[in-house]
Amino acid sequence: MLVSKSRDTSLLRSSEKQSLTRFLSLYIFLVIILVVLLSTFYYQSQEQLMLSNQRTILSAYADKQVKNLKILHHYFPTRSEYPRDQHYESAIYDIERVLIFSTLKHPTIDFEHEIYRTGNKIHFMRYLDEYYLGAKYLFIEIDEDRDWYRETLIQIVVLGGVTIFILGIFGLFFVRLFLRPMRQSIELLDNFIKDTTHELNTPISAILANVEMMDQSIMAPRNLKKLSRINVAAKTVSHLYQDLTYLVLGHQTQSHDEWVDLQELIKSRVEYFTVLAHSKHIGFELQLEKKKIFMDSAKIARVIDNLISNAIKYNKRYGKIKILLTEEYFMVADTGIGIEKEKIPGMFDRYSRFNESEGGFGIGLNIVKNIIEEYHCDIEVDSVVNQGTTITVYFNQGAKRV
Amino acid sequence: MYKKAGLIFLLSMALYGENQWMTDKEAIESSDVYMRNCIPCHEYLPSTLERMFMSYLKVYSGEFTVKESLKAYLRNPDRDMSVMSELFLDRFGIKYKTDLSEQELEEAVNIYWNKFNVRNKLK
Repeated sequence: MLVSKSRDTSLLRSSEKQSLTRFLSLYIFLVIILVVLLSTFYYQSQEQLMLSNQRTILSAYADKQVKNLKILHHYFPTRSEYPRDQHYESAIYDIERVLIFSTLKHPTIDFEHEIYRTGNKIHFMRYLDEYYLGAKYLFIEIDEDRDWYRETLIQIVVLGGVTIFILGIFGLFFVRLFLRPMRQSIELLDNFIKDTTHELNTPISAILANVEMMDQSIMAPRNLKKLSRINVAAKTVSHLYQDLTYLVLGHQTQSHDEWVDLQELIKSRVEYFTVLAHSKHIGFELQLEKKKIFMDSAKIARVIDNLISNAIKYNKRYGKIKILLTEEYFMVADTGIGIEKEKIPGMFDRYSRFNESEGGFGIGLNIVKNIIEEYHCDIEVDSVVNQGTTITVYFNQGAKRV
Repeated sequence: MYKKAGLIFLLSMALYGENQWMTDKEAIESSDVYMRNCIPCHEYLPSTLERMFMSYLKVYSGEFTVKESLKAYLRNPDRDMSVMSELFLDRFGIKYKTDLSEQELEEAVNIYWNKFNVRNKLK
């Protein structure tokens, strides 16, 4: 699964962004429904207003036509020409709603409404008290003036758009307000880490330096084993310290890019972690081609360290770690516990961990992600639960390389 | 001579008149139930059958309602059910109850409707 391709400079974590997006989507959806409903009511009220304005004139036309029908009824069949008028069309229906005669241009008839729009016409219905020529229903038809329609549509679009925009701004404000407690708790944790990091440096450096300085050739095997454990524990804490240092200070400092021999760097980092890996009887399998990359050596070291460290941490005892380096990518595969596919996108979030049984702050992969994005590389995670995880870093092919 | 000629003329006229009477009788007998049963009486009334139809149309409007009301009136003529004016009824009264069978009555009313229906005559 391809996790990230674009550089993300936002301070929001992906879970925070997800909450923001979901809330805003739902909010905007509800706002749109509200606006559509209000627009519909407004449109209907404008339509009724227009029809009310036309009712008077249509009623006058109907009176005129009734008078004409009365005359025709009286003289029928001597006169048989249906009365017509240049201002309107008309139709007559009998009590059984059967058409007697019609000059309507739009023949769709609605007996249930006195006045209504059909096509581009307005129909007005009048009940006749005396059924001249057998007509009980008289329909008068005139052309609809479309100006009201255009004006209403423009008003709906403009007012609706402005309403959605303003309510959207409010929504954004509210969602930030709601997310503030979550953000504050993250900031609190960040500050805590920042403060404790300063206190870690001196004791860790002292332990590691003294372990290195010890003359192991004169030590009893039992003490050697104890020293090895101290070394592993100190390196674990040292690794954590380096991650924390990067987190607190690293991303704030300028990158010092240089040509880095990745093959050599990986070898040295593997050697560094060998003691740690052996504590769980984990073996390394290296297939490293020659590769140089133009990057900040400290940052690429953080990437490698974190991937190897995780591969050890989440591996099984007597497991294996395979590291592959080619011209295009760098891959670390373990035979560990794996992770469910749906959890993969969230594993790069800060303070997220594979599982709670292992220690750590859950910041390692977040650092990896940030560095990868800074250098426009891609990272791909493939994992099968109880079989292992493979993480591949694809180098930016546009970047300088040898 | 003149008397003989006059006698022959009168005999001829009498024979012609008898032949003519036979022709009208045959015509009525061979015509439809409407012609046989409606025309003979109504032709003596001042209001034509067509005007009466228009009066029915003005009161009952539709084909079904006109026909049903007409049949109901013909079966049981009633002053209150009549569409004619008070003046007309005072002068000519109401008709006798029809002695036509249901089928004949139905046929007569259908012919009457088709003959004076306005729908196909409006232009």
